[in-house]
Amino acid sequence: MNKEHPSWLGRFWAVVRYEMLWNIRKKMFLGALLFAFVFATLNLALPGYFGLSENPYFVITFSAGNLTFILFAIVTGMHSISGEYEKGTVVPLLTKPVSRTMVFLGKLFAIFLVILVTYTVLFTYTIIGSIIVYGPQNSLYLAPLSLIGDVISTFIWVSVVLAAGAISKNSLIAILTAFGLFIALVLGGGIIGQLSDNPQALNYIPGTGATGTLNIIGGENITIGNISINTLSAVATGTDSIGNNLIKAVLYPNSEVGFYHQNIFNLTAPARLLYTEPIGLIALRSIGVAVLYTAVFLFVAWFAFKRWQILE
Amino acid sequence: MPFWCVAVDLAIETIDLTKQYGSLTAVNKLNLRVECGSIHGFLGPNGAGKSTTIKILVGLLKATQGSAKVLGQEVHVDQADARLSIGYMPELPRFPNHLKGAELLDVYGRMYGMNPQERQTQIPRLIDLVGLKGRENDLIGKYSKGMQQRIGIAQALLNNPQLVILDEPSIGLDPVGMVEVRELVKAISKEGMTVFVSSHLLYEVEQICSHVTIINRGQALVSDTLETVSQMISGPTVMQVEVVNLSGATVAAVKALSPVKEATKSGNMLNVSLSTREDVRAEVSQAITKSGGIIVGMTQKGHSLEDVFIQLINKRQEGSAQ
Repeated sequence: MNKEHPSWLGRFWAVVRYEMLWNIRKKMFLGALLFAFVFATLNLALPGYFGLSENPYFVITFSAGNLTFILFAIVTGMHSISGEYEKGTVVPLLTKPVSRTMVFLGKLFAIFLVILVTYTVLFTYTIIGSIIVYGPQNSLYLAPLSLIGDVISTFIWVSVVLAAGAISKNSLIAILTAFGLFIALVLGGGIIGQLSDNPQALNYIPGTGATGTLNIIGGENITIGNISINTLSAVATGTDSIGNNLIKAVLYPNSEVGFYHQNIFNLTAPARLLYTEPIGLIALRSIGVAVLYTAVFLFVAWFAFKRWQILE
Repeated sequence: MPFWCVAVDLAIETIDLTKQYGSLTAVNKLNLRVECGSIHGFLGPNGAGKSTTIKILVGLLKATQGSAKVLGQEVHVDQADARLSIGYMPELPRFPNHLKGAELLDVYGRMYGMNPQERQTQIPRLIDLVGLKGRENDLIGKYSKGMQQRIGIAQALLNNPQLVILDEPSIGLDPVGMVEVRELVKAISKEGMTVFVSSHLLYEVEQICSHVTIINRGQALVSDTLETVSQMISGPTVMQVEVVNLSGATVAAVKALSPVKEATKSGNMLNVSLSTREDVRAEVSQAITKSGGIIVGMTQKGHSLEDVFIQLINKRQEGSAQ
């Protein structure tokens, strides 16, 4: 038997392989994949059903959506750390010649690959579907930005799931923590965005963020039924919209986003402009916020995992 | 002696190893020395501290005090390279249900840095060795408890380790499986591996181990060769022979045998005190027959490890009660 010192990379890939095999064979993962395709199919079919004839902006305004982000974060991350402890499989794993840091990084990279490949397939399906349903698409070359943005957006929730799992050693607590935080931020962000004159605070927490409107009309208006809308004009500043904002920043680098306050008790009153921000700043800031939160939660998860004492 | 034992005499050495969980002391100043190339039994009742000690040795737990060396290297939690030469099978091992048996060994083999040729040679050999041939492509989730135990043994031997640590390897196995495990342990020891096996099954340890450490309440009660430990408390082995025509000449003939310390007559019963644990019934019966005696019945009552174990535990309990 070869007793030479094995390479770090070889052992790292072994952990990645171990985790990927686990991830792609989970029934929950296959269920989430099915959900994502049903969601994408409805996204393609429903506007057409309601009378939309063509939409050349469909692909560059497409995002998997925040519910998909939390869903894939949970199904890929929930068993990754805490599940190993619960099932007892961590004992043989951690007695192999792989450090805990290597195990952690290998698992993280496997989750990244699984999410990246899943979203790539999903986006490819959407691109092909949208060309069939809505005709030729504008600026298709920018679609990878949306894909990258969605992966970054998902990773905030992956890091939350991993941190909660590593601290609690309990998958259920990991899921409830991540999903509870997600719901709280969606609901809380929505309420603050509607009522507050100072929605900038939402720019610094994960989620939807503040909502505003681009001060230019990009491309053409589209009509669904009797309603005329411009799908490019709406901007959300949060970490859930990184991909869309990157595309808008590339297409309209000098445009500003205006943020308004609408009195919800008097909807006939004109909306009041609160402030404006360049779209480029919004896109970069949301990436910075996402990376910062992800790094902090991942550090917490790694630190807790490093200190685990395996009693069972 | 295996080649790596030239560099280190002891496969495992602990000095005052202590592990506390709050106010509970699971391992209490344990001094353990496991010689290279030996099969060392680690015996103790449930809760004695066996698994905690082993978990410290393989880096799953951090000792509260004291030190431990495995194959000459100081043990620390998360010291990956130190585990390159160790094979470990946990008590009631559990593996990812989504992996097939052969896949599990393949992915673990990659973690050990085994190249494809090594994996292709070693994995089928081990699958065959542990009796899982034909089931290696089934998901582990479909394995019985005994089969999981077998794949656990296979993964512990995957890297041809210098030291194999088996924590209660017979748990969950049927009687045939238990015998197979015992034979397997003997076989791997012949290949030069040091085997450290924890068990609460005294007869199992007695049948396979050359050395034994008995632990209770986190402390080693005794640690030596099996022979020495057995003789330490038990005293001589006794043989009782029922003889027709039991004469003084017969008693003298038996007394003259070298393994016999004492021989006394009581009616038609000849009580023989032996200085060995070896089976000397053939020698004794030959001496009796040659001197004109007719053997009707013969029993050799040796003091088993179980006797030693119970005596040691009782002694310790009496000591702590006083």
